[in-house]
Amino acid sequence: MVRLITHNLLACHAKDCNTNNFPLEFKDVQLEIREADFNPDFLKGFMPKIEWKALVDTARQLGDTSLPLEQPEMLDDEFLKNLHHVLLEIHVEEGSMTCPNCKHVYPISNGIPNMLLAEHEIG
Amino acid sequence: MPSRYLFHYAQVHNEFRLPELQSIAELYGIPYTLPQNPEDRDSTRPFMIVELDEEEHARMLARRCILIKAVYEYYGHGSTYDELHEVNRKNESLWARYVQDTSFRFLVTSSKHKIPQSRQREVIENFAYMGFLGKIDMKSPEIILTCFEEYEERHGTTRVKHEGDGEFRQVFFGRLIEEGSARQLVGKFDVKKRSYYGNTSMEAEISLLMANQTLASPGKLIYDPFMGTGSMAYPTGYFGALVFGSDIDGRQMRGKQKTPGVIRAATQYGIASRIVDLATFDVTHNPWRCGELFDSIVTDPPYGVRAGAKRLGRKRELSERQKELCLQHSLAPRPDDQPYIPPTKPYELSHLATDLVLLARYLLKPGGRLVFFLPTVTDEYEEVDIHTMMCEGMELVANSLQDFGSWGRRLVTIRKVTKERYPPPTFDPMLREANEETHIPAHKDFREKYFQGFKSKADETKG
Repeated sequence: MVRLITHNLLACHAKDCNTNNFPLEFKDVQLEIREADFNPDFLKGFMPKIEWKALVDTARQLGDTSLPLEQPEMLDDEFLKNLHHVLLEIHVEEGSMTCPNCKHVYPISNGIPNMLLAEHEIG
Repeated sequence: MPSRYLFHYAQVHNEFRLPELQSIAELYGIPYTLPQNPEDRDSTRPFMIVELDEEEHARMLARRCILIKAVYEYYGHGSTYDELHEVNRKNESLWARYVQDTSFRFLVTSSKHKIPQSRQREVIENFAYMGFLGKIDMKSPEIILTCFEEYEERHGTTRVKHEGDGEFRQVFFGRLIEEGSARQLVGKFDVKKRSYYGNTSMEAEISLLMANQTLASPGKLIYDPFMGTGSMAYPTGYFGALVFGSDIDGRQMRGKQKTPGVIRAATQYGIASRIVDLATFDVTHNPWRCGELFDSIVTDPPYGVRAGAKRLGRKRELSERQKELCLQHSLAPRPDDQPYIPPTKPYELSHLATDLVLLARYLLKPGGRLVFFLPTVTDEYEEVDIHTMMCEGMELVANSLQDFGSWGRRLVTIRKVTKERYPPPTFDPMLREANEETHIPAHKDFREKYFQGFKSKADETKG
């Protein structure tokens, strides 16, 4: 858990942290790979929502270099399989995510990230 | 050319019957026509005759609708056997193809009554004019013909055996097409057989009905913002959807073992890979980077009886000095490995409901659905209560009551009809107070009303 699909959708939401608050940076991660159902239609439908650079950079940081730097125009099967693997099969089980702007650390334990804010961080 | 089908329904959760049919027909793109006469589509009755284009559509509905017991090809019905036989004779073209050499079984049965053996035989003999020549096969016949007598509800009355036999309301006749296989899921998802559950877990049948309201299917992305022990995630995941869950209190999702409880239960159902992620956060301070993400949002918000809804914040403002001390506390390293736990305050139900609709408008894709339970006080509920929480761009699809007597909960299904993009909601009750609705819904301060035993205002003044 904390798959890259989720990571690509979470931004720091502390009070007044509105710019450069995405993507959160993984630290001290323990990874696990688990198979998931391959659904090309889901992937195609989800592509417009992806922040591509954040996804590719994060995947590379975690050791997966299968995705191209630019989102391709042609979605062939090999590309979709790589995208499927990166989005849904890489799980960050332990570690943390740090906001590049305000440096808030969101810890991950047993695959569940704690995204709660402290009292002084809510508006 | 549409044909008529006889739907045999379980007589539970009556108000959920037509919304479920509507949802599953929409999911599969099945056109259907309900009976004209309101009495013939009365959800308290066990049978309903529905027009469909194809037999395959009837099968698809029977495999997915939780409340369908079975579907039949319709041959006839009436208030008396004479009426039924007259219609059945006119429909000979429907059953003539089975006359020559199809093995069959003939059943005579009833709802809320037991027909004596001798009369069952008599009923069967009166169908002799159909002239079926095939073998009678009780074990594995090619077709099953069933004749149902519908009796009025007589539960709670004392009567002798077979009393009132033959005094049925209507009698129906048809050929079995498909037994409702989705009903078995009620047993499969039984909470007591689940490897992880809590005192707020939702009963299996209702959670399955909720999953059907979300139109869950492969490739859909569904979100539960009050995940708790994950009751709604299992059936939605089972129907193929990918599910996100969040909760302000991670302990409900985690349980006490290393592998989170929700994942253990999902593993039991073979759908662990469809629980995309679980995250701990307050939905009123959520980290979603953008909107229009989900096909559905399904949730059972805590309403304060088993567990109260909470949001980040404090009930009372602190002094500057107290604030400073709290800041130091939150920034200081923990003495043990326990995480920092921020303070929370109660989240009043009518605020929560209004916020949930606004949040759904932001997070749902156009056409997406919000499905959730709203508890309410039976005597005080008015239809306008639901409208106090609606906003522009959202439309009510269904509102089904599960009645517990003095209170009940309504399964509300709302569709996002707008394609316009809206900003995320502010979750600020202060901003809302300014243009506060004049109508106060019955679900406001539900917790207090529940623990006061739903005394009406009149009673209070008397007491």
